Amino acid sequence: MSGVLERPDAADLLAIARATVLEELLPALPETHRLAARMVANALGIAQRMIAVDPSRLAALEPRAAALGGRVDDPWAGLCALIRSGAADPGSERHDVVAALLADLARLRCETSAPKTLAGG
Amino acid sequence: MDEGRRERLRSWLARAADDAGLTITALERLSGGAIQQNWGLTVRRGDGREERWVLRTDNPATLEMSHGRREEFALLRAAHAAGVRVAEPLFACDDAGVIGAPFLVMRRVEGIAAAHRVVKWDAVGGGREAAARAMGRELARIHSLRPAGDDLAFLGVPPADACLAFCAEQERALDAAGPHPILEWGLRHLRRTAPGPIAASLCHNDFRTGNILWTDQELAAVLDWEFAGWGDPHADLGWLCARCWRFGNLAMEAGGVGSRAALYAGYVEAGGAAPDPARVAWWELAAHLRWATIALAQGARHLSGREPSLELALTPHIVPELEWHILREVAAREAALERAA
Repeated sequence: MSGVLERPDAADLLAIARATVLEELLPALPETHRLAARMVANALGIAQRMIAVDPSRLAALEPRAAALGGRVDDPWAGLCALIRSGAADPGSERHDVVAALLADLARLRCETSAPKTLAGG
Repeated sequence: MDEGRRERLRSWLARAADDAGLTITALERLSGGAIQQNWGLTVRRGDGREERWVLRTDNPATLEMSHGRREEFALLRAAHAAGVRVAEPLFACDDAGVIGAPFLVMRRVEGIAAAHRVVKWDAVGGGREAAARAMGRELARIHSLRPAGDDLAFLGVPPADACLAFCAEQERALDAAGPHPILEWGLRHLRRTAPGPIAASLCHNDFRTGNILWTDQELAAVLDWEFAGWGDPHADLGWLCARCWRFGNLAMEAGGVGSRAALYAGYVEAGGAAPDPARVAWWELAAHLRWATIALAQGARHLSGREPSLELALTPHIVPELEWHILREVAAREAALERAA
């Protein structure tokens, strides 16, 4: 025991569970249940990537949103309201800063939910 | 379906078909959508003939915008009368007491709809180009239906500007889904670049690979009419051609099936007005937005706790990929606008 909780940790368990679904269960299942097994593997993969995200990356995005949208209590709602109001339209001062924040946000969200999108460019 | 429901269904169908000798010889759940349940129904008529039907009914929680079975029945009848290839509608039942929810019954059409198979199938509908033309013809026939007469009165008054109506509807959807700034960014761009009003047509509003039944000879039927409404006919072309509905077969711009040129040729051949490429492009970006907000609404059904489902739980995880393409497309369109200015 190297910490309070027993090992293997969540990441390891999700990885081995996913490999077991894909390598052992899927080939043995009838066609009618394969889609469900693939969905289970997909869900485990997303969960793996979600817990692997460095929390400091998430924490770094919020102040940028708060600074732009002016809402510390709900930075993303504030940013959405700013965008909808037209105050970040092309030609405005904030346009490029918002675009850069959204690009970073999109990358992080794809890393967890759709990593193949990033690989495909 | 338990014995009680099955017997109530048999007796209802016998009355609706005016055939006291009608019996149900087979009833099986078909693979189906997240919104409806589809049942394959084989009946023996009093004179001994066997017929194959499909029964469609609602799942417990349905998307707000989808029509009830009675309305879907009216849409199918109107489309059938306009020469659109649909499964012939037979009966509609509003009484939830028969099988637990309202339902409609139509003639069963054989074919393959599964998108991931269809986009890999070179012989689809007699070959990819023939298939794309056939989709164009079907869309032109659907769009020939205009807001007049009482049959489709339940669809309401057509929007004065379908593009702006779309933007308003998506703003409401985003308000319900919670903050999604990248979708908001795409939506703001759409609002700023909306192409203006156009005469309203009937739009299917879910005309895409996966909702079209194919044989290796022809387009057998257009399915899933529950989102139909009055709007800009380019919306259907944009939905079909949107990158997110090509199921990985990106080079085949008409739904991953065939070429855009063949689609448009079929459209004009069947009497449709020549599509405006700029309008279709606007609706292709709009398609990404709409699919994203639908995915969020499906996820909300799982998150509500009322309908726990792995499929519904995974659907919102499509959104980041859609956002990625929305950001790229908005940037490309803004750059083009700047060059043109």
